[in-house]
Amino acid sequence: MTHKPSHPSSFRDPSGYVYIDEGVVKRAINPIYFKQYAALKDSGFFDKLFNNKVLISHKELSKSHTEIIIQPEQIPFITYPYEWSFNQYKEAALLTLKIQKFSLENGFSLKDASAFNVTFHNGKAIFIDTLSFDFYAKNTPWRAYKQFVTHFLGPLLLAHYHGSQSLKLMSEFFDGIPLKMLASMLPFKSKLSPFLYTNIHLLAKFENKHSEDYKGNAKVKPLSKKAQLNIVKTLYSYIKKLELKEDSEWGNYYNKINYSDAAFNLKAKTIDSWITNLKPEKIIDIGGNDGAFVRQITHRLEQALVCDIDNNAVDFNYVKAKTNKENYMTPFVLDVLNPSSAIGFNNKERFSFIQRIQKFTPDVTLALAVIHHISLSGNVAFNMSASFFASFSKYLIIEFPKKNDSWVERLLNSKAEFKDHFSSYSIENFEKSYAIFFDIIEKKEIDDTKRVLFLLKKQR
Amino acid sequence: MNFLYFDPAIGAMIVQAIVAAVAGVLLFSKNLLFKIKLFLGIVKTTDKDLFDDIDIEKSDIENKKSSDS
Repeated sequence: MTHKPSHPSSFRDPSGYVYIDEGVVKRAINPIYFKQYAALKDSGFFDKLFNNKVLISHKELSKSHTEIIIQPEQIPFITYPYEWSFNQYKEAALLTLKIQKFSLENGFSLKDASAFNVTFHNGKAIFIDTLSFDFYAKNTPWRAYKQFVTHFLGPLLLAHYHGSQSLKLMSEFFDGIPLKMLASMLPFKSKLSPFLYTNIHLLAKFENKHSEDYKGNAKVKPLSKKAQLNIVKTLYSYIKKLELKEDSEWGNYYNKINYSDAAFNLKAKTIDSWITNLKPEKIIDIGGNDGAFVRQITHRLEQALVCDIDNNAVDFNYVKAKTNKENYMTPFVLDVLNPSSAIGFNNKERFSFIQRIQKFTPDVTLALAVIHHISLSGNVAFNMSASFFASFSKYLIIEFPKKNDSWVERLLNSKAEFKDHFSSYSIENFEKSYAIFFDIIEKKEIDDTKRVLFLLKKQR
Repeated sequence: MNFLYFDPAIGAMIVQAIVAAVAGVLLFSKNLLFKIKLFLGIVKTTDKDLFDDIDIEKSDIENKKSSDS
């Protein structure tokens, strides 16, 4: 058996493993899973899931008695649960429940319910772990129930009660929010809800009680399929109705901006004409808010990654893209001052933002109204941000608000007595630092504003 | 054959009997309430929902319909 070096995140499941073959993601299936694989394939179960675009499709490349190799449809950019907005998270949770219900009805069951089994592709949440299905064993409870609660219901509840930033906790709690902590973070009134009492508080109590049972003395009671379906259905209807309490802060963002409609249109037009000349297929908009400027681009894009630090802005963009079926749009949450890091065993299971974006190789990077935040809020020097953008961009469209821009003034005033330390914030210094990494192709002042747009090309 | 490769979650396996019983009551009462509302004619239309129904194949038909139109 030729055992290929597996992908660093693919080692937990003995059924098979993912590996990269000349840049292409492939999956090897071990003999231990042959029976399940054959049943899933021959019954048409896989095909039904592919046709409904809920499971990533694959084709079988080879088959021997030692391994089966499949090649899944490739996903250009994977986003992780801690980069999803509230409604994206909801969609991923609902997708998992849909698949579990469909599995049960067809004699299968999900053996795990990790949030990392889902990502976003072509504008939709999609299940990417093809080997997560096992045969349903009659009258057994759902093996992955606890995992579903800690990976999906828990984070969503914390977001509901404590704000959408709670979703970021998933980058620390790799295998879901610990139940005890989760239960302690819910308000007392949650104990009065029969749904929350049983699915969170009682579950936490039972898990705590049986955590020391290493001998397997506890008897698991049989649970009918209908009863399990009832659990899945109530989880689905509860999560579907779950909302955020907070008002979206970004909501009136474009009312707060310091320039007119005419300036907005000029900015959008300039960006559009530069982009149209470059004819990119894939772009990334760093600090793209709700995708307003990406939507103004008339050139047809294969994929536009639009990230922002504000979960609510990302959520607004996602809901809009979903409603308008703008499948090229991939919104996700990212703090440019602290981009998602590589985590998991060996720090290699989940890739960092930089690793993923370098592999994605965007043709154009947009950084609009973001340099003053990086430089003044984050104290990041121009040469550092230039080197950051140069690490993954071929072309960079960057907007520079001058020192007398009202936003810049506000940021500088907030520095109080340290204001003078930021005297280096000037367009001359900006150009000097960025010229180390980029050539200036175009430069355009936006009328009626204190802002300048640059089109930069990375030096060879 | 044991495919288990994560936390055995024994407590979670046991508690599901209770969770399911409560879920059954919740679903039953919700259905009952829905039927009463339907009878009284105060059911809200839900066609503006962002997310589909739980059934994969049903939503497939909806998708096809909307893409055809």
